[in-house]
Amino acid sequence: MSKLGWKRVRMFACAVTVAGALGSGAAQAVPSYARQTGLACEACHTAFPELTPYGRRFKLNGYTIDNLPQVSGISPNKQETLLLNQLAPLSFMFQTSYTRTKSAMPDSTLPGELAKNGQVLFPQQASLFYAGRIAPNLGAFVQMTYDGTSGTFGWDNTDIRYARSINENLLLGLSLNNNPTVQDPWNSTPAWQTPFDQRSSVAPSPGAVTMLDGGLVDAGVAGLSMYGYLYNSVYAEFGGYHSAPAAAQLDSTSTNVVDHLAPYWRIAYEHQWGRHSWEIGAYGVVAKIHPGGGIALSGPTNKYEDWALDSQYQYIGDDHIVSVSTTYIDEKQTLDSTYGAGASTNASDRLKTFRIGTSYLYQRKYGAALGYFRTTGSSDALLYPSGAPVVGFANGSPNSNGWTGELDWLPYQNLKLALQYTGYSKFNGASSNYDGNGRNASDNDTSYLLFWFNY
Amino acid sequence: MKWFFALAAAAVLATGASSVPAQPSEQSATELATGVCSACHGPKGQSISSVFPNLAGQQANYIVLQLDAFRSHERGDPNARAYMWGMASQLSDAAIKGLADYYAAQKPAPGEVGDKTVMVEGAKIYDEGIAAQGVPACASCHGKDAQGNGAFPRLGGQHADYLVAQLQGFQTGTRVNAPIMTAVVRTMSPEQIRAAAVYAASK
Repeated sequence: MSKLGWKRVRMFACAVTVAGALGSGAAQAVPSYARQTGLACEACHTAFPELTPYGRRFKLNGYTIDNLPQVSGISPNKQETLLLNQLAPLSFMFQTSYTRTKSAMPDSTLPGELAKNGQVLFPQQASLFYAGRIAPNLGAFVQMTYDGTSGTFGWDNTDIRYARSINENLLLGLSLNNNPTVQDPWNSTPAWQTPFDQRSSVAPSPGAVTMLDGGLVDAGVAGLSMYGYLYNSVYAEFGGYHSAPAAAQLDSTSTNVVDHLAPYWRIAYEHQWGRHSWEIGAYGVVAKIHPGGGIALSGPTNKYEDWALDSQYQYIGDDHIVSVSTTYIDEKQTLDSTYGAGASTNASDRLKTFRIGTSYLYQRKYGAALGYFRTTGSSDALLYPSGAPVVGFANGSPNSNGWTGELDWLPYQNLKLALQYTGYSKFNGASSNYDGNGRNASDNDTSYLLFWFNY
Repeated sequence: MKWFFALAAAAVLATGASSVPAQPSEQSATELATGVCSACHGPKGQSISSVFPNLAGQQANYIVLQLDAFRSHERGDPNARAYMWGMASQLSDAAIKGLADYYAAQKPAPGEVGDKTVMVEGAKIYDEGIAAQGVPACASCHGKDAQGNGAFPRLGGQHADYLVAQLQGFQTGTRVNAPIMTAVVRTMSPEQIRAAAVYAASK
């Protein structure tokens, strides 16, 4: 999950978090949906959390399709007053992992000493979900997560929906959620990106992150959006995000406070033919953010304008499943607040992220995936400073790139064992000695073994 | 922005307020078919993916038998388990009848002509059977135009891949709710199965 990282460093401009861009995703595969619908996981997922066309439809329908005995109530004039599943739609998720980086991390306090390499997290994450219908046309995906890195329980991905079919060709809905793109039905957008939805939460990951790719969710937001899905192919959504961090009040002690509402938009087109589907789309957000952290919230803001393209292809055969997903995010940063405070070198910066990944699954049991990622942007020596071990930047540059490979085994539809390797060609601005303390990009190459189950 | 949300929320909620069904357990067949079944089988019973059969123009009697077999778990091929055991579990007899009538009344999908050699071989099997292997003519039960008859399903306009999967299911024993078909496909080769399916689907 992107909220919880290896070591969070809040930069002035909020553009930078140490773990985030590639921070491991969260789980969308929830057995309570299977219990509610009576459908096997494979109806909605190729391999969890990636959705099939039917899974997308289930999500857009507000998670409400059900086949359970109901507790129901009606008023004297036959208006429905209650329709409850007899079983609560609860699920549990457990992940345990082993992470090894090519070179050990430096000790957090003793100069010249190294931390132990090869870390077991038991659990890496453990989540409790409420996932299912609440009332006719109203359903939820709500996740509470215990994070093994911080040892704390926290509120995680939340998507509460109201959806109605207006006629056989048009579906309209509302989503109340806490993470831009968590409501998106495709797996090419950041919140549920596949493959590599899971990554180590203790290995270092590149520091520069766009708002769409984790920046906003880290700031703590709540959003409401309205969507329409026409002819099972054209999708349009418009909404906005408001600051909603866990705090008694929002004032100068808060950090990264969204000014008013940050508008979010999304359009997509999906074509299905036979067992193939192909989606192409665009999405974006415009967020004005008060850095806070000692600065009054009445002052100037930093403005982040993100737009992105995405595409996803799926072939779902009986024995063979192939998926390709990609996204490109371009962020324009106008740093009135940060620049005014002398904390960035430039008044405005750019940050761009590109990702592509493909996965193959045989008989829904054995899988392999390969992907490439790249972040590039303006050099800004103050925004991306050097000197800090592991998390520092070379040449004030946010540039990082590398590849990831993964092997998966799913002995059952709700169990996954993944072996993943991530190699970095460039990390936080350089290939060698990027942090000014002698650490090379390849020292962060990560081997990661994950055992994940949901029930 | 704020007025937008107020309006948007009001608009979506309003569309729902007037149309809450009086008795959810008695949802009309059309509502079920277009609101739930359509996600896989298409709004008028013509599906996109060959995983899911076309139901448009299917024999009502056959649909009733299958939904009942899903509900009782008598039909248990892989996709029946994954999708239909759940979907059919809460259907009443009346709902099943309503759905069967709804789909039977829809216009069947047009048949797609396959590869010429395969079609020729398929036509022979479909019309004459394979005497040497004890395979009867498909036409004898499913009709000359593959329109089906009562408990015997329409095959015309079906996805050929879906028909192949069913014949394989009868052969391997994952689908056991049609003993006649289990006997019919016993000796058929994969090539013969495909040819018969492609030809039947083209009708």
